[in-house]
Amino acid sequence: MVMRPVPWQTGEICGPDSAKSLAKSDVIKRDLSKAKKPLLIVGSEAVAEKHGKGDMIDYAIALSKAGSIPIVATGGAIKAFIEKGFEGAKSMGAMELASRLQDADWKGPHGKGPHDMILIYGIPYYMQWTLLSAVMNFGTHITAITLGRYYQPHAKWSFPNMKEKQYHELLDEILVLVGGGK
Amino acid sequence: MKKKAYFKADEAKTGLGVFKGLEVRIGQIVDDEWDEPMGPTPMPNPTTLRAWDHKLLTKYQPSYMPYCQVCCLCTFGKCDLTGDKRGACGIDMKAQQARIVLAAANIGCSAHLAHARHLVDHLIEEYGPRTALIQGPGTEIHAPVSSLVTGMRPRYLEDASLILDYCESQLAHTLSATHTGQEGSWLDFESKVLHAGMVDQVSMEIADLVQISTLGFPQADPEAPLVESGIGMMDTNKAIILTIGHNIVPAASITDYITEKRVGDEVEVGGMCCTAWDITRRDPKAKVIGPISWQLRYIRSGKADVIVVDEQCVRTDVVTEAKKVKAPIISTSDKAVMGLPDRTDDDVASIVEELVSGKIDGAYISDHHKVGEVATKVALAVKPKRRKMKFFPSKKQIQKMAMECKKCSECIRACPNDQNVMEAVLAAQTGNFEPLRDVYRNCIGCARCESACPNDYDLHSWMVVAAEADCKDETYMVRTGRGAIQDTEIRNVGQPIVFGEIPGVIAHVGCANYPGGGKDVHDMAEEFAKRRYIIVTSGCAAISAGHVRDENGQSIYERRSGEFDAGCVLNVGSCVSNPHIAGAAIKIAAIFAKRNLRGNYAEIADYIHNRVGAVGISWGAMSQKAASIAAGFWRLGVPVIVGPHGSKYRRMLIGNPDDERAWTVYDARTGDRVVTAPGPEHLFYAAETVAEANVMTAKLVLRPNDTGKGRSIKLSHYIDIHEKNYGFFPEDVWKYIRRDTDIPITLKDKILAQMKENKWKEKRIPDPTLLKEQIIGGEK
Ligand code: SF4
Ligand code: SF4
Ligand code: SF4
Repeated sequence: MVMRPVPWQTGEICGPDSAKSLAKSDVIKRDLSKAKKPLLIVGSEAVAEKHGKGDMIDYAIALSKAGSIPIVATGGAIKAFIEKGFEGAKSMGAMELASRLQDADWKGPHGKGPHDMILIYGIPYYMQWTLLSAVMNFGTHITAITLGRYYQPHAKWSFPNMKEKQYHELLDEILVLVGGGK
Repeated sequence: MKKKAYFKADEAKTGLGVFKGLEVRIGQIVDDEWDEPMGPTPMPNPTTLRAWDHKLLTKYQPSYMPYCQVCCLCTFGKCDLTGDKRGACGIDMKAQQARIVLAAANIGCSAHLAHARHLVDHLIEEYGPRTALIQGPGTEIHAPVSSLVTGMRPRYLEDASLILDYCESQLAHTLSATHTGQEGSWLDFESKVLHAGMVDQVSMEIADLVQISTLGFPQADPEAPLVESGIGMMDTNKAIILTIGHNIVPAASITDYITEKRVGDEVEVGGMCCTAWDITRRDPKAKVIGPISWQLRYIRSGKADVIVVDEQCVRTDVVTEAKKVKAPIISTSDKAVMGLPDRTDDDVASIVEELVSGKIDGAYISDHHKVGEVATKVALAVKPKRRKMKFFPSKKQIQKMAMECKKCSECIRACPNDQNVMEAVLAAQTGNFEPLRDVYRNCIGCARCESACPNDYDLHSWMVVAAEADCKDETYMVRTGRGAIQDTEIRNVGQPIVFGEIPGVIAHVGCANYPGGGKDVHDMAEEFAKRRYIIVTSGCAAISAGHVRDENGQSIYERRSGEFDAGCVLNVGSCVSNPHIAGAAIKIAAIFAKRNLRGNYAEIADYIHNRVGAVGISWGAMSQKAASIAAGFWRLGVPVIVGPHGSKYRRMLIGNPDDERAWTVYDARTGDRVVTAPGPEHLFYAAETVAEANVMTAKLVLRPNDTGKGRSIKLSHYIDIHEKNYGFFPEDVWKYIRRDTDIPITLKDKILAQMKENKWKEKRIPDPTLLKEQIIGGEK
């Protein structure tokens, strides 16, 4: 199963279109450089996920700083950002985001949009799946890249159910790609 | 408004009189004893309340998250509906999603309605059509939902039957709308979703009213008995009959038989899901084993000597599972025969003999009078030999089997709660069963992990073995369903609720598809009960709320009163008891504001929406019934929160706080349009975590009508819960301040600063309504 671009939860098969496999960081280089106003969405599960010496909240902060990408935290993940002294994140519900991202004129939680790209991880798999389905079908102005370990078919790019070690390496490569990790 | 509903009967003796060749046309029904004038919309058809629905659906726009992007409903398909493609019939993705939402609401409604029909027909046969329907003392406002929707007060069983005729005709219409080439607009599909939800609410009210009236249930009783609950409460020294489902009739025949034959010392009955609540409402000696997702763990334990299933939410592999533990099974409902041979017309002795000898695994018995006798006799006969059998593997055996694990991750991929079953199995290889025990705690008992496992491991059973001590420790006292809320209780709390001084009424209802165990339901209920919100429970959520003991060993029902009052926790009963919650809101409008409710749906819904700070929470919402129950609340303007799995209902009803127009109401006193703060902000919302659900709950009780004192109380809870869960002071408090009096005193400085920063201006507190016709003296 590992390294195959098929939905991680067995039943969550999608429709005719599905995400391209993000097995190498290079493949998203073009989309990342084209994106004018990306938004980083970080869900509640990121708090308990380890990455390097820290966790996936630390990773979000690093990514945000490196690429000047605003963060919106869902499901109460905001608390972890605040506890780490990072003030730049905003809080919104995943379902509020799923709704507002369908609006091509929405300025986003920081008023810096409209966003043309989302980077997303940390929302429970099936809930992120439904959120991304809303974006794929009705928020077509948005390029969606998922940065969770498991394959999310409704994004444009998604990791293909990565092995844990490789996954974290790839995350670090992506951080470098947006100008960080030094 | 057009009134098209119409029905006919050759002869009907009703509470309204004796009719030969009765033809009822809407608007022509007369209840001679009821002096309340008939409102504008008795027995509405699918489009009668369309204008009201459109108001709600404009304010709370459906946000679709396609759960399936193709359609396979007819042979034109499969059709690819992604992007802006249309199916061969012309339907687009949005309308298709709305269509599926309507299909779910119809299915849910049909389950309650057919249940209600069965009860009414059965009870008419048992007790006669002129049997009086009684909700209990202090319930002068009788059957508020039926009165509101149909304009009729069901006084006798035969009236209940007439009301169900209406419901059945409506369901046929809303179901037909899902056929290929019928409705084409998402908005009209959604309006019909609300219609199906409303019809569902009527049929549930009828179902509960008729059983409360005839079967000896508590009647609007705040002191309904405390009953034993939990796997550990079942007495294995006795023969055990397990009943599963929602329909009391077969289960009641068992408890009645046990009482009549005085064999209560030798055999006991435990229920799962709503049948559990309803048998304990009839006979408090019966027990509530657990919510619906406990089915498999209890059956697998082999402790049930006979399993009797009725209808709704029963595991469809129950026969196979029962067979594994050599427990005879009896199906009783024509909706869930489960492939068993029909033994209804056979004599009891022969059925018992064949079940006991194992000649047949189970039997379908639709004659409920026989079920009690057969189940009891079989249970007593098979118990001695069954108690000698062992059904679970030992830990040693599990450890050995676990060695063969292929490490394929299929169990994890299959688990809806993403439990790391594989790691737990690998730990079991070393004799460490703690990880499997942890999985048990977050497990909803679906057994998908087992189905996926190439080694055919009985993984769910392994978890239960690992958590044996937890199962034994499941011993709680829970308050069984009280039924309706009394008018006198409403009189006491109507004003503080409408003015906002009791900050809200929060109803925990629905199924047990919990993302992280049932304790969350208890914790949410307790969080708000201690803040003096009124907490109402029903169904599986009511069971889970009671399945936590405090330091004194007490459940939430033992330490909190069952009255409808601040800080109390009251269980109304089973799924079909949910309309008592809606009924309480309706009664607030009728008693406190003296609004006519007879056939007056839109006005009352408008009242509730703008004034009654009620929120429904279905943390483990799973079924189509949960969808239709929610839809019934939506049409009354009451917001509903579901757990993260609820996102799979594929559409939310979301308000846009930035769109001022959406929050504009009429001031009924002047006819002016007045902008209010976004409250309630959403009508249907899936929360990702308990933290989010708590913050959202505190926010969704806000209403335009709150008085200054009420608003400041609600805001101080919102701020406190927000700070506790999110770690910061909410940024939108200023939006909810209309005047100085709205500001919670202790937080004044912070709020004033926020108001200044956002250039706050004083706002008017209107007499809020969404309906032009409610403007005193007509529209300007
Ligand atoms: S109902 Fe419409 S969309 Fe569905 S398969 Fe038939 S033609 Fe296609
Ligand atoms: S039975 Fe429990 S562990 Fe297994 S898939 Fe279902 S929820 Fe997950
Ligand atoms: S599915 Fe079965 S074999 Fe595969 S990892 Fe899970 S327990 Fe092991």
